[in-house]
Amino acid sequence: MIVPLNHILLLSGLLFSLGMFCTLARRNLIMMLLGIEIMLNAAAVGFVGASLHWQQMEGQAIVIFILAVAATEVSIGLAAILVVYRRTDSVDPDMNAALWEKGGQR
Amino acid sequence: MVPATPLPISLIVTAAALLLPLLAFGVIMLATRSRHRLSAAISIAAAGLSLLAAVYLLVQHWQIQAPLVFQAVWMVSGQMTIPIGILLDPLSLLMLAVVAAISFLVQIYSLGYMAGDPGFGRYYGCMSLFAWAMLTLTVSSSLLQIYIFWELVGLASYLLIGFWFDKFSASEAGKKAFVMTRTGDVAFLLGLVLLWLQLGTLDIPVLTDPAAVGAKLSPGMITLTALLIFGGIVGKSAQFPLLTWLPDAMEGPTPVSALLHSATMVAAGVYLFSRLFGFFSLSPTAMAVCLAIGTISMLLASTMAMVARDIKQVWAYSTISQLGFMLMGLGAGSLFAGTFHLITHAGFKALLFLCAGVFIHHCGTNDMFEIGRQGGRRLKSALVCTIVGAGALSGLPPLSGFFSKELILSHLLDSGHPVAFLAAAVGAFLTTYYSFRLIFIILFPRDADDAPSTKSHDGHHSAGGERSMAAVLWCLAGVTVVLGFFQTPLHDFLARAGTGVNAAMPAHHSWLPVAACMLAAVAIGQAWLEFGRKKARQIGWVERIPLLADLFGQRWYLDRLYRYLLDTLVYRGISRLFTANDRRVIDGALDGLGRSTIGLGRVIDWVHSGMIQYRLMIMVAAVISLILFIGWGG
Repeated sequence: MIVPLNHILLLSGLLFSLGMFCTLARRNLIMMLLGIEIMLNAAAVGFVGASLHWQQMEGQAIVIFILAVAATEVSIGLAAILVVYRRTDSVDPDMNAALWEKGGQR
Repeated sequence: MVPATPLPISLIVTAAALLLPLLAFGVIMLATRSRHRLSAAISIAAAGLSLLAAVYLLVQHWQIQAPLVFQAVWMVSGQMTIPIGILLDPLSLLMLAVVAAISFLVQIYSLGYMAGDPGFGRYYGCMSLFAWAMLTLTVSSSLLQIYIFWELVGLASYLLIGFWFDKFSASEAGKKAFVMTRTGDVAFLLGLVLLWLQLGTLDIPVLTDPAAVGAKLSPGMITLTALLIFGGIVGKSAQFPLLTWLPDAMEGPTPVSALLHSATMVAAGVYLFSRLFGFFSLSPTAMAVCLAIGTISMLLASTMAMVARDIKQVWAYSTISQLGFMLMGLGAGSLFAGTFHLITHAGFKALLFLCAGVFIHHCGTNDMFEIGRQGGRRLKSALVCTIVGAGALSGLPPLSGFFSKELILSHLLDSGHPVAFLAAAVGAFLTTYYSFRLIFIILFPRDADDAPSTKSHDGHHSAGGERSMAAVLWCLAGVTVVLGFFQTPLHDFLARAGTGVNAAMPAHHSWLPVAACMLAAVAIGQAWLEFGRKKARQIGWVERIPLLADLFGQRWYLDRLYRYLLDTLVYRGISRLFTANDRRVIDGALDGLGRSTIGLGRVIDWVHSGMIQYRLMIMVAAVISLILFIGWGG
């Protein structure tokens, strides 16, 4: 393995921090979802690195698993965001009662 | 009330006399209030049986040697035991009979007077309540028990004054009577508490024993407690500072006025004084105060009566004045004179009020000039009975008032209070004057219409009711005529069993009755000149002096003074403080509580903003600090 484990973990941690920053800072549900995706992928990078380092295939299997979960999560999450958007005319995560009331009542 | 020994027959009889009216009250109020005739029958039956029992007791114990006391423990609290019981001695036996008799007669009279009233059942319920409270008061063995029933009597009086409570003035009068008597009762209660703290008992036999009281109480303390208790008497008997409630109490039905506000309830104050005569006589100051208050009330009330136009108010003022007269007799140191006048007064004042009731019933007005104009003199039996009663009130021989009044006058003369004696003589003169003013006004009306008035035949009073009313009148008139001749037996009876009545009669002043009769004759003459004569203009000498007429008509401005005091002191002073307290302290505290809750809610609301990212941030921060903690600490 050419790339040392430390670098991979550093990359993974960096990606995770970026994803977390995105999730926490952006006032947009879609961008939050993207942040979550980035965090998941950061974890996947970590898994791949660790799997290569110790020569164990379970890590790679889990990465496949993570990809599946991420896909599901995105599809459900986007659907949910779409519903929220339809109801509130916004994708702002600050779900105050006022916003909900505006379009929330059918 | 279950003593270990077999129940003595007199205890059973007394208990029956006391409890029957209570039973009647309960049954009427709970079950039969809407069935008028049944309620009246129950109440009258109870009153009649009470009367029988009282008379039986009186006859049975005529030769009584020592007071009979039956006591049972009512309540135990730590070191204190509060007894409840019955004290039978000549005074209470006599009073029991008087109260039972008057309330029985008045209830029969009410059959006619109150007929057709929508509150007939309630009326008889209240009457029974009153009878129970008053009868029990008379035979109470301890002051605490007296106090309890004293308040119950006040309650019955309140209910009956405000009987027609849909009339504003009646409910106001009820409230006024209640509050004013309560003012006196506060003093009474304080006196009781003081006595209790000092003596540890409120039993009447102990209190009236000079040796027992003198050993434990300093003379100053005796005077203080006596004056405090006297405050209660002043309130109940409508004496000087608290006298203005009684005239207003005439808003009630007339039989109520006859029973409560002349014959029995207001006499409870005087009765309490004679009950505690042994205690009061330990304090010369208290006796002097009593004499002074009695004198002032007597004179004030008689002057008020001279200008009153309302027939009931005249008799109300005269009640105050006669109660003052009794207190003078008692204050001068003669238990028998005061008590005897109490008994005779009960008879003739009830008579006068019931007669007034007949006039009012027929003419539909309280104004005596109006009654005269409507031909009040055609009501023969009422008129004759009024004359008999007024004669007794004025102290004309051979009526009962003559004997009791002479007795008080001669005691005042003997006791070395010349001022009080002169005041009493003036009071007697005024009394005769205003009584006969009333009679002449009714008897010789100006511009009378002698056509038979239609009012008396409008059909709603039944003949039976009229007859029962007349029968009661004649009965009381008979008592009034006869009672005076029983002075000596009554005196002997009261002197028995050491109730504090001097065994010896006072020195006899042979000139006194003659002088008193002369005085009365002069007063009647004056009343005749001003009201009776053919050409008389029916305006009294008082009414010719505007200043006096105003002063007397306004009740010496006592009511105004009280109203002013109430407005400034109570409403603007105390009430304002309480209002401020209410607004600032209580409301402020509650508002503050509410406001701080809201503020706290705001703070918490900020946390629960629904902003998912804040939660995430907190979660991340927590996880990072956990990692740091484990990384360094672990």
